[in-house]
Amino acid sequence: MIDAFLQALVNGALAGAVLALPALGFNTVYAVLRFPNFAIASLATVGAYAGWVANAVFAWPAASSLVVAFVVAGAAGAASDALALRKLRPLGAITAAIGSVALDLLLQNAIRFGFGNNPRGYDLPVFRNWQVAGIGIGPQEAEDAGLALVAMAALFLLLRFTRIGKTMRAVADNAPLAESKGIDPVRVAWVANFVGFGLAGIGGMLVALDTSLDPLTGFRVLLSIFAAAVVGGLGSIPGALAGAFVVGIGEELSTLVLAPTYRTAIGFLAILLVLSLRPRGLLGERAY
Amino acid sequence: MGSTIPRRAALAGALAVPFLARTGLAAAPIPLGAINPLTGAGGAYGPSMAKVAKALTTRINGAGGVLGRPIALDVEDSETNPTVAVEAAHKLIDVNKVVAIVGTWASACTTAVAPLCWQSHTMLFCVSGADSITKLPHHGYIIRTQPNTHLQSGRAAEFLLQKGAKRVFGLSAQTPFAVDSWNRLKEVLAGGGASGLGDIIYDPKQISFRSEIGKALDAKPDTLFLNSYAPDLEILLRETYQAGFNGKRFTFAYAATDAVLKALPASVTNGLWSFAPSPNVGSPAYGAVQAILGVNDPDPYSCQVYDHVSLVALAIGKAGVASGLAIHDNVRKISQGAGEKVSDPVAGLRLLASGKEINYEGASGPCDFTPLGDIISCKFLFQVAENQRNKTLFIS
Repeated sequence: MIDAFLQALVNGALAGAVLALPALGFNTVYAVLRFPNFAIASLATVGAYAGWVANAVFAWPAASSLVVAFVVAGAAGAASDALALRKLRPLGAITAAIGSVALDLLLQNAIRFGFGNNPRGYDLPVFRNWQVAGIGIGPQEAEDAGLALVAMAALFLLLRFTRIGKTMRAVADNAPLAESKGIDPVRVAWVANFVGFGLAGIGGMLVALDTSLDPLTGFRVLLSIFAAAVVGGLGSIPGALAGAFVVGIGEELSTLVLAPTYRTAIGFLAILLVLSLRPRGLLGERAY
Repeated sequence: MGSTIPRRAALAGALAVPFLARTGLAAAPIPLGAINPLTGAGGAYGPSMAKVAKALTTRINGAGGVLGRPIALDVEDSETNPTVAVEAAHKLIDVNKVVAIVGTWASACTTAVAPLCWQSHTMLFCVSGADSITKLPHHGYIIRTQPNTHLQSGRAAEFLLQKGAKRVFGLSAQTPFAVDSWNRLKEVLAGGGASGLGDIIYDPKQISFRSEIGKALDAKPDTLFLNSYAPDLEILLRETYQAGFNGKRFTFAYAATDAVLKALPASVTNGLWSFAPSPNVGSPAYGAVQAILGVNDPDPYSCQVYDHVSLVALAIGKAGVASGLAIHDNVRKISQGAGEKVSDPVAGLRLLASGKEINYEGASGPCDFTPLGDIISCKFLFQVAENQRNKTLFIS
């Protein structure tokens, strides 16, 4: 039983680390633009396909392919927001959120048009799990979690120490005040979208490395991303991190007592509990 | 104000009337719907299914249509999603007023669409296997060309016993056929002396199945029965390999697609057994599907959709009326019995017009149906994955 518990804990932590990146991206965008952008699902898929082109077509290694995933998903996210959602934002968060659902479907079908429905595979070997004290750990999953941690660290450094990071935090904290101090909200929106969706792109590629790459890769994790963001606190960067691990580990631990069929319900349950008991999320709305 | 119709146009119109009547173009089209999985988990099959349905419709229309009326085919995408399939069915039934819907794929989609069909007296032709589908109170408005779960799982279990499986564990995606499928498999396996028969039903929308696989391997199986669709099969194959499983794996051919085999290294997929209802290889109708798709080995669902469109056209041709009820009352009169065997719906329509009885033999099989709407018999294809391709073991 203890072995099963530890195995579920390890599985959940590895899943949470990968889930954390798109959740961080989701909250980065929410913090600055104040609406939930559900197009993140397809933009994660865009990143996964961009990384696939770099890896499987141009034979780049996984780490450099992740950079391509970041840049392409970030650019696609910033451009699609400017083209499709910027004019909707003044009409309210609900309008912009509904617009983002439409944008998500549009992007999903554009991917399908370009790459087809069939699953694709990265040009990477599949290794047997390491056995550490009776606990199985996948080398690919461990590497993915490590890469996710590096990307998260880079985001924290960007937000804390760089000028653009500070302007993003200022807009997130009080947009009218930041604008009165000369910060250009349009420029900050571009950067927030680029960084947020870039992280989603990396997350999408890491998910695809572990699972399968097809036009629905990002959509399959949308609920878990949203659950992680809400549990941690919408708009909170460390909250997204905490929420991703809570959801990832919670889903895995639930299989010890519930049939695996109900695992996805844990995400819904987490949202319900948090919204009932602590509506601002585990770490509050605007914590950095 | 004088006449606004120029004399030359009026003359041209008058001359065109006999021509239009002769070619049938003047007659109101017969609306026919297709709900195919153009995207989603069944996306590997939907486009070719739609292509076959369109090509056959065009051919029938080119030969004068049915009862002198062209068939107007409207293809909708189910996205392999029951909610979307229901929206598509509403549109086809309420707006297009179709007489039949063909080619629903995935049991969840067919189950969702079926009540709309029987309530509106629209015939439904599906390629879904769950036993529960034809047990619905459909009053004869469902015909399926796919063998049901009972038939498929029984044959699968016989194959596994023949291959020496002793301890089998099932990992099944949550579908309408998951429980029936496993229960039938377990029944035949237990009768053949297998033991350690356990199963887990999983949510296929997950991105990892490590916990499920851990539980499965705790039972020390020598064979895993992966009752999956393509996206989750890819993850299961990867993760069972990672978890160190070296035993046998068995799945459905619709999941073990060429794309899945190519997406994973050969070391992960080699030895994977899969099976599918075999089309009527070598039959003239099968040859027609080969020609439409330009491939040597068309998938079973495209063959079944060819038969769906043929059965609709022939049943209407037999009835002399284009309606769901007419198809309902006549589909068995043209698909089984002592009539002249035909594989080409155009030839069949000619025979019917001359008052002859026919027995349609299709691309997917003999197309003989029980009173419930299930096919009576079919052959199965068994294959094994070798170097990222499926290799045929045998058809029986």
